[in-house]
Amino acid sequence: MKTRSITLYVNGEAYSLNVAVNRTLLQVLREDLGMPETKYGCGTGECGACTVVVDGGKSILACLTLAATMDGAKITTAAGLEKDGKLNPIQEAFISEHAVQCGYCTPGMVMKSVSILAKNPKPTEEEIRRELEGNICRCTGYVKIVQAIQKASEVMASTR
Amino acid sequence: MSELSIVGKSVPKIDAKQKVLGQAPYAADLVFPGLLYGKIVRCLKYAHAKVTKLDFTEAAKMPGVVKILGPKDVTQKTYNTGVLDIMVPEPVGQMLGDLEDIPLFSEHIKHQGDKICGIIARTEEVAERAAAKIVVEYEPLPVYLTAEEAEKPDALQFHPAKPGNKAFQLPAAMFPNNVYGWGDAEAEMKNADLIVEDTFYVPKQKQCQMEPHAYVALYDAQGHLHCWTSTQMPKCVHPKLARLFGLPMSKVTIHQTVVGGGFGVRLGMISEPECCAMAMAVPGHYVKVQQLREEDWIASESRHPGKYWMKMGFKNDGTPVACQAKFKAYTGGYFTQASGVPFTTGAWLLGTYKYGACNYEGEAFFTNQVPCGAYRGYGNPQTNFPSEQLIDRACSKLGIDPVEWRLKWHKGLGDDTWILGFKYPSCAIDECITKGAEAIGWKEKRAKYANQTGKKRRGVGIALATHTSGAMPMLLEHTVVSVKVNEDATAEVILNCSDLGTGAHTALQQIAAETLGFPMEDIHMLVGNSDAAGFDIGAHASRTIYVGGLAVKTACEKVTAQFFERAAEALESRIEDLEMKNKKIFVKGSPDKAVDIKTITAMGVYNFIDPATGKTIGHPGQILGYESFFAPHHSPPWSAIFVEVEVDTETGEVKLLEFVTAYDIGRAINPQSVEGQLEGGAQHGLGYVLTEDIYYDKNGLCLNSNFTDYKMLGPSDLPPMKVILVEQPDPVGPYGAKSCGEMGLVNPIGATANAIYNAIGIQITESPITPERVLKAIKDKGMTY
Repeated sequence: MKTRSITLYVNGEAYSLNVAVNRTLLQVLREDLGMPETKYGCGTGECGACTVVVDGGKSILACLTLAATMDGAKITTAAGLEKDGKLNPIQEAFISEHAVQCGYCTPGMVMKSVSILAKNPKPTEEEIRRELEGNICRCTGYVKIVQAIQKASEVMASTR
Repeated sequence: MSELSIVGKSVPKIDAKQKVLGQAPYAADLVFPGLLYGKIVRCLKYAHAKVTKLDFTEAAKMPGVVKILGPKDVTQKTYNTGVLDIMVPEPVGQMLGDLEDIPLFSEHIKHQGDKICGIIARTEEVAERAAAKIVVEYEPLPVYLTAEEAEKPDALQFHPAKPGNKAFQLPAAMFPNNVYGWGDAEAEMKNADLIVEDTFYVPKQKQCQMEPHAYVALYDAQGHLHCWTSTQMPKCVHPKLARLFGLPMSKVTIHQTVVGGGFGVRLGMISEPECCAMAMAVPGHYVKVQQLREEDWIASESRHPGKYWMKMGFKNDGTPVACQAKFKAYTGGYFTQASGVPFTTGAWLLGTYKYGACNYEGEAFFTNQVPCGAYRGYGNPQTNFPSEQLIDRACSKLGIDPVEWRLKWHKGLGDDTWILGFKYPSCAIDECITKGAEAIGWKEKRAKYANQTGKKRRGVGIALATHTSGAMPMLLEHTVVSVKVNEDATAEVILNCSDLGTGAHTALQQIAAETLGFPMEDIHMLVGNSDAAGFDIGAHASRTIYVGGLAVKTACEKVTAQFFERAAEALESRIEDLEMKNKKIFVKGSPDKAVDIKTITAMGVYNFIDPATGKTIGHPGQILGYESFFAPHHSPPWSAIFVEVEVDTETGEVKLLEFVTAYDIGRAINPQSVEGQLEGGAQHGLGYVLTEDIYYDKNGLCLNSNFTDYKMLGPSDLPPMKVILVEQPDPVGPYGAKSCGEMGLVNPIGATANAIYNAIGIQITESPITPERVLKAIKDKGMTY
């Protein structure tokens, strides 16, 4: 199997790796870099549990991304949102609005929310719901996830 | 009643911060040294077959393959993944005809996904490549996908003990004439002015929890078997695995990992046996089994589908004189829970309305599909779909408002619950119905929708449900709690109750905090270790807050009793003259005559002898509250759900416009958590009635084992949801609480079906009510809009 030397910037740290070209970003994050927060939910791009954000705002599915194509990418995972011991407003809102139940979809949901609000800081409820279609939650019925994103959007607007 | 300080508040979930950071350790996240990878090789080609050849020689030669186990290389004991063997006495299990019929690896394949062998390898990739080199040959057998096919006289037998492939029928020894209920419904039916009758199909719904199943097992040098699993019932899996592998329980430890959703799929065991068998074949090595998502639909248990016949008789004034019903479940390839669900399906029917006579029969037949097990609601969804619709059919023909009918005929205080002989200790359904009807605008909308034109038609529907809080006396209800107080007056609450994401642990901690008079931060829940805590059934039957909560409350009361006893000694007072506040006990009216709880607890642990007197200084002994609790009742919750839909009569699509649930919770320990259960349950229930079923081709091979084709409602499909919590405290439940874990899934089903009926004037008797079924029904009835 061919390999490629790449550098990934994950949550602000540089990692130099030599990856087999068939390894997904999900495998590299979880197994090679020992970062378990990005989840295997289906491995086929249908559930969104592996959502991470690249270059500040774009959400991608790590299970469908070949790591070898990501040389130089700046990747953020749920573990990287904390700054100086403080949670990101989206994470705070997920807690305060009770948007977390089993938690398995949560890291992906949080990262998807980051990309939604990066693209559109004041989304309508309909826009939020449409954007979330690629992230499956089987616990919450989405009600409090949507409320959390709305709350985060208000908090982020007021602190801008 | 004094004001509560923590119970009743929506405190944040204790594990929420961990989860938003992605730090909660699910089984797949655990890291172990020298971890080997175990792959369970499954038959994907056939739904029914005999294995005629199984050859691992080529596969075993692959570098990185450690061992391959076939049917003869493991214990020949067979098992049942469910836990009825633990929850009912053995004579009852025998009367029910429960079977332990699953082998570790099968030679008679009974469903697509049945396991044929296990590969232990150094990496996942090696195991996958070796699986492709396994040589297996099959003799295909005829495939049976319904009870009607399986019961034919020429059908092959799935199990020698079950002639006609009838896995289960309500046993006459427990249910005269194989009927559960009261009165003679057939006789009473003759007094009816109106009879409504139909046969319904209820679907094979899949739990689709977001965390795929993963396990790790280790059989160490001391002959101790460890298993890391997200089972809902660690203390039931503990004796089951011990028995399966012939080990004493003291040589088996179950480590319950963070559960990424359960909904019943993890009620007992799934692949713990295979993972442990592989670990025992390589002593001293950790072995991990990671199930693939696409295997979930064919390798872990689903809801019981089947044909459900129901007949109701009414007087012209709406009096329900009789109800007869029979559910024929297609139970899948193995017995699993063939007795549990076909029983409870009828039990829920019996518990809801005041039929003059009600007779239910329940049966289960083997079929060549993945076996059926537990799924949130446990028979209640199956009953809600036909019963609520037949009631509305009668209401329509008799000109009675469906809300008015339900207000008059629901069961309540003093009536028999789903277990005849047990009476409802509380029932706030009238307030639920009234508030819910107002919230959805029932009167106005029913009047408006009575005269509609156009291709899109709207309707509102109602359905009630009642369920249970724990399953006594049908099943064992036993929870053991130890509350250990540290010297600094913080407490460990040690138990094996499970939190599947429901917030149960948070609620139990709130109950402990309230009872002890401690803040939340001073309590640590020690959970998930089968050695540390005593027995607990685990999470099912909506029991955790009601039974677990009562057990926690009782154990904590034993602790506070010890606080007061020791404080009375220290203050030279009588216990009756003391009160406790802010972790201090003081004499009523003399707040300066006080002792800190911390002083008491420190003195108990660091207890010294006064050299001058030779006596101990203060009361010695670490404080422990221990309770082995058996539930005294099952206080059923109630709810009324209202759904508004718009049906497009040209495309058959059903759009959900509005959803209201009014829920008789008794007391919401954590109100937002309760809402979360009801909103989440509704997503499952609405999916059950509109989109979800597992489909098979004629050979029994699954057609939709992925998230694209197994359709669940997403955020754009779901309507705005209003949750009304009605709190009339139950006399039994902890602080008056009743359950909410399952029932939120149930009556969205009947309410949606009835809303569709209101919209287009047709009842669709097959669930899910897909656009195809709507269009076909419109065409068959010759309706125009």
